[in-house]
Amino acid sequence: MAEMPRTPEFPSQGATLFVDLERRETLTAYTPVGVTRTLLAGRGANMYYLYRLLDETLSPLHPDIPLIFGSGLLTGLVPSAARGNCTSWSPESGVLLDSNAGDYFPSFMRMNGFDHLVLYGKAAAWTMLMIREGVVTFEDGTPYAGLDNIDMRDAVARDTGGKWARNLAMVNITRAGENGVLTSGIMGGPKAIYARGGPGAKMGSLGLKGIVTIAQTREFPTAQPYKPYNRVIAQKLLATSVVKNALSVTGTPFLYKPSRLLGAMGTKNNQETTWSDGLDAQHFDQYRPGMEGCFRCPVNCRPLNDLHSAAPDKYDKGDGPEYVTVGKFGPNLGVDSVESVIRLNNICNDLGLDTASTGSALGWAFELFQRGILTVEHTGGLELQWGDAAMIERLLFMMSVREGFGNVLADSMRAAEKGHYPPEAMQWRIAVKGLGQSDPHDARILKAFALGLAVATRGMDHLRNRATLEINARINDNPAFKAELYGGPVSAEPNSYAQKERAVRACEDIYAVGDSVGMCRFTTKLFNSPSLPGLEEFRSQLANVTGLQFTADELEQCGLNVMGVERLINHRLGVGRKDDTLPARWFDEPNPAGPYKGEKIDRQEFDAMLSRFYEISRLTSEGVPKDEWRKQLAGALGA
Amino acid sequence: MITVNFPAAFHSLAGSSVTVRESVSTVGQLVQALDRLVPGIAKELADPLYNIAINDEILLHGVDARLVNDGDVVEVIPSMAGG
Repeated sequence: MAEMPRTPEFPSQGATLFVDLERRETLTAYTPVGVTRTLLAGRGANMYYLYRLLDETLSPLHPDIPLIFGSGLLTGLVPSAARGNCTSWSPESGVLLDSNAGDYFPSFMRMNGFDHLVLYGKAAAWTMLMIREGVVTFEDGTPYAGLDNIDMRDAVARDTGGKWARNLAMVNITRAGENGVLTSGIMGGPKAIYARGGPGAKMGSLGLKGIVTIAQTREFPTAQPYKPYNRVIAQKLLATSVVKNALSVTGTPFLYKPSRLLGAMGTKNNQETTWSDGLDAQHFDQYRPGMEGCFRCPVNCRPLNDLHSAAPDKYDKGDGPEYVTVGKFGPNLGVDSVESVIRLNNICNDLGLDTASTGSALGWAFELFQRGILTVEHTGGLELQWGDAAMIERLLFMMSVREGFGNVLADSMRAAEKGHYPPEAMQWRIAVKGLGQSDPHDARILKAFALGLAVATRGMDHLRNRATLEINARINDNPAFKAELYGGPVSAEPNSYAQKERAVRACEDIYAVGDSVGMCRFTTKLFNSPSLPGLEEFRSQLANVTGLQFTADELEQCGLNVMGVERLINHRLGVGRKDDTLPARWFDEPNPAGPYKGEKIDRQEFDAMLSRFYEISRLTSEGVPKDEWRKQLAGALGA
Repeated sequence: MITVNFPAAFHSLAGSSVTVRESVSTVGQLVQALDRLVPGIAKELADPLYNIAINDEILLHGVDARLVNDGDVVEVIPSMAGG
């Protein structure tokens, strides 16, 4: 704290609020501008705080391991920049926890004057942290204990008199977080969730049930007028095909069809790779009454749902599903009914369960049951049969309170390590660095995708670096344009290993910058389109909002720095080259379907691609920043 | 005769499907023939969002040179990433 400024370092900068939940004390300071110039804010500066405060001799759920929220430098100010990150040491994976969400909380945090929250200490009883017009109070959380997301949001709106999306926002845990379920997230809205790595369990371990912000939206003092350039960004967003023809009208389920046609749709825990056309995006149309969006985002990509059941219950309506949920609760579990997928999605949103990790845990268990490694003796008499949506629903509720076999599933990818499964179960675990796969895409074909999943700092997750455009034929067939996008040639062939490290490097950098300024991944250049806002737009608006001048190259370096610090953190947690790998199945078993039938990951080719990735990423052969860069980062971090 | 099916974003321009009766042998020629039937559609199909599948085989590269045969069903498919 002594080295941290007590006043803002630049226009629009909010404070960092340090919250000791055990002592019910708070302190405020500001992120040093040198850190901002190195890592920006949001995800980037979160890494500064974690790097400085992490004591790796403890364990992830120890109260001295902080839980950190951070909003981006442009969050709340720029169209589609409504995002923030939540960071800690993951109780689920054992490596870095870093999860991103939108909706309203990250923006409203800033409206209350805070860019970062650093939470630590264990509250004596369930606690609510209230931030009202910038004033912080600790309030009794016990009336909300035992509530899941739907009821909790109703109760908090009633008790505060606030209005969601107008002056009220919240992050909260559910019973799953209270019970230390490792796939539990922190809810940031009806569907928005800081999902990956078990942040719900971490927040629950601190005795914190929720953080509520109440404030009117306000204008920020900025270095220069920024609204004229906002119009440029909004026009760019709305003119982009993927926004106007896909995200704004249907949302992400469009991806299901190309994945299943390609033979890359992870099915039954990736034993198979294609599935029914019954889950193609158009089959969701009849259940989608409209679209919603995050704070000041013109895209509105979040589909609402209404099942129109004859006997509706609280899960008849909801938000979503996204493509990830369609995949993880459809083909991954052998479910082919749109209605079942929507209902399971709504239940997960209420129970605060990350659909990626939860679907992974279920898929693993179902395959073990199929193979006879688990029996009804392990499951308490439950038959785990692919496609049994009623059983899956029952298991979700059991997981959320760690009841019976639900206690095993609640340990997610650590079930074998914790003695629930025999060691041979690990052969069929689809995970990297202890985290189950996010995107249900089976990446035995797409080699840039595969490399990205292997090197992602938080584990097996496509949102860190997916070079999505490798599936777009028009880009593959235009080598000059593709080289311009990625800073050099990248093979046009999806299943080639050649130059794919370059695409992953470029994506990892720009996505880290996007997270650190608060931009949504869906609307960041390279994730879904070459035409969306990227480094140039971020640079221009950062100058207007903060007065900080960056070149596009300097911003790209910030993205690389974020990855570098994340790797330094992971290195302290025992992560090295051996962990930048893929599930055994993808090396050993050929893809069983589609035009690339027979494709798998070649170990030597993969290893060579990984070495090339390390080289262009300024990493040693063990995957940590090389000495000179490491010293530069340490200097910037004050470490 | 080749049938080309379109996603919703094309319906106002081309309807849900168009039948091409002109003799063509590659996807590139097919797109040009389509453009003669539905002026402006070639430009729309150049958008990288859209991939083409022939008889349910999705093409990820080398599209324009791919052979098409009489009786094929071609589909235009939006391809993107999700979260």
